[in-house]
Amino acid sequence: MNIIETHDLCKQYGNAMRVSHLDLNVPKGSVYGFLGPNGAGKSTTLKMILGLVRPTAGSIQVLGNNMDNQHRLAVLRQVGSLIESPSYYGHLTGEENLRIIQTLRGVPEKNIREVLQIVRLDGQRGKKVAHYSLGMKQRLGLAAALLGYPKLLILDEPTNGLDPAGIQEMRELIRDLPGRFGMTVVVSSHLLSEIDQMADHVAIIREGELVFQDSLQVLHGRSSHHLALRTTNNTVARSLLSEKSLDCQEEDGFLILPILSDEITAKITYFLAKNRLGVLRLEERQKSLEDIFLELTGRAVSL
Amino acid sequence: MKLLGLEFYKCRRRKIVLVCATMLAVELIWMCVFLTRQDAENLQQGWMLLIYNLIIVDAIVLPLSVATLASRNCELEHKGSTWKLLETMVPPGRLYTTKLCWGALVLALLLMIRAGLFLAVGVYSQFPGPIPWGWMGLLTFVSWAVSMMVYALQQGLSLRFVNQAAALVCGISGSFLGLLSMLFPAWLKRCVPWGYYGLLSFVGMDWEPATGVTRFYWLWPQAADAALLAVWAALFLAAGRTLFVNKEV
Repeated sequence: MNIIETHDLCKQYGNAMRVSHLDLNVPKGSVYGFLGPNGAGKSTTLKMILGLVRPTAGSIQVLGNNMDNQHRLAVLRQVGSLIESPSYYGHLTGEENLRIIQTLRGVPEKNIREVLQIVRLDGQRGKKVAHYSLGMKQRLGLAAALLGYPKLLILDEPTNGLDPAGIQEMRELIRDLPGRFGMTVVVSSHLLSEIDQMADHVAIIREGELVFQDSLQVLHGRSSHHLALRTTNNTVARSLLSEKSLDCQEEDGFLILPILSDEITAKITYFLAKNRLGVLRLEERQKSLEDIFLELTGRAVSL
Repeated sequence: MKLLGLEFYKCRRRKIVLVCATMLAVELIWMCVFLTRQDAENLQQGWMLLIYNLIIVDAIVLPLSVATLASRNCELEHKGSTWKLLETMVPPGRLYTTKLCWGALVLALLLMIRAGLFLAVGVYSQFPGPIPWGWMGLLTFVSWAVSMMVYALQQGLSLRFVNQAAALVCGISGSFLGLLSMLFPAWLKRCVPWGYYGLLSFVGMDWEPATGVTRFYWLWPQAADAALLAVWAALFLAAGRTLFVNKEV
C-alpha cells in the first residue's frame, strides 16, 4: 500500500516548469529518500504534498485521501513535517514552542516531554530558542514534527546545519522511526551518501522530472561491473577488438569492455600482444552510486 | 478561542505591554503639559477641552501605536518561518482572523485603560460639571473603530512584507497625515484613512476672533462618515485577507 501517491503532478512558476508530471509512490512503512540536486524541485514537491503550494496540474493522495481543500487539514493531522528550515518562535523556550503545537494539534501534554527526550533536547527545554544552535533548532523542528506521533513524517533536508555527530544521530533516529513508531518517513536530500545510509526506497528528481523511483536495492543493482583496458594504442586496439566482435567505448584513455570470462580476457591480451600492442592496464571496475546519480541527473553531485 | 489564547501566549516577551504603556505615557504627558498651560477660563470647559485635544493627540499617536502593535504580532511569524508549520494545522483565513481579533482585544483594552486614566485626570483637575461617562465611552469606541480600520491596513502590510520597515513607514506617515488632515476640507479628510480620527470628532469648537474666547460644544458625527469608515475597513480587510490567504509559503 502506498501512503503517498502523486499523479502527473506539475508546478509552473511563470514560464518555468519547476515540477513536471511527477508520479511518486511512497510505500507504507518505508524510509523514502527523495533525492535531487539543489533546485531540482524537491521542496516544491513536498510543499505541494502538504498543500502549502497549489499544484498547477495533477493530483495528490495522502493516506488514501485526496489533498483537496475539504480533506487537507484532516489528513495533515496524521502528518508531521519539517520543511526547509525549522519553524520556531525565538523569544519562547523550546518547551513553550512545543506547547503551541501541542495545543494546535490537540495531543496530550506528556508528548512534549517524550519528544524532547527522543531528540535529546530535554536538558535545554527552558532555554529561549533564539539562543539554540542551528543543530538544536533543527532537532526542535523534528520534535515538533514528531509531537503527534504521525503516521507520515515529511522531512526536507533534516541534516542541514548539523555537525557530523548530529548528522549521524539524526540518521539513526530517522532509520529507527518506522520500527519504533510505525511511521513512514519521506526524507529529501541532495546528498546521495545520506540517502544511501537512511532510505530503503528512493526517488531521484532532476529539473522537476522523476528520473528514478524504486528500492535502493534496485539502484545498487545498476552499479554494473565492467573492464577498463589501456593499451599502447587504443585506437588500433579498438578496431582489432571490433574485428573480433567485441564492441567497446573509449573513456578517459581507457577502452571500456563488458565483463568477460578469465579465458576470453587471457585470449584478448594474447591477441593484442601478437599484434604488437602492449597492455598497460587491465582493471575490473564497478559504477559507484555517485556515477549512477550523475548519469541520472546529468549534474555534479554534492558530496 | 483556543487560537486567540495561543496568540496571547505567542506574544509573551514581545514587550506588547511596554508598547501600550509608552503610548499611554505619551498621551498623558502631552495632555498634562497642555492642561497646565490653560487658564482658569478655558478650564471651565475642562471635559470638552480634554476630549477635543485627546482626539488630536489620538490622530498623532494611535497610527504609529497601531502599526507597532500589528508589526510586533506579525513579525514573530516571519522571523521564525512559522507560516509553513501553522498552515499545516490551521487554515490561513483563520490565522488572519485570529491575528485581527488579537489586535481588536489589545486595542479595546488599551483604549479602555486610556479612558479610565483621563477620567481620573479630569476628576483630579476638578473639571466642573458631571463626569461625561457617555462621551468618554463614545470617544473610546470611535478611537477603537478608527484604529481597527487602520489596524486592518497595518496587519495586511505586516503580513505581506517580511521586512517590517514598509509597515512602520506607513504608520509614521499615518501619524503625520492624521494630524495634517485636520487642516484639510472634509471631502479630502474622507480620502485619508488616518483622517477619520478628526473627521469623527464629536467636540466642536468656536473661536471668537474679537474676544479671543473659545467655546466648545458636543456634536454627533455624521452617519455618512461612519459608513465611509466601514467601507475603508471592509476594503482593507478584504485586500489584506485575500493577499494573505493566496500567498504560498
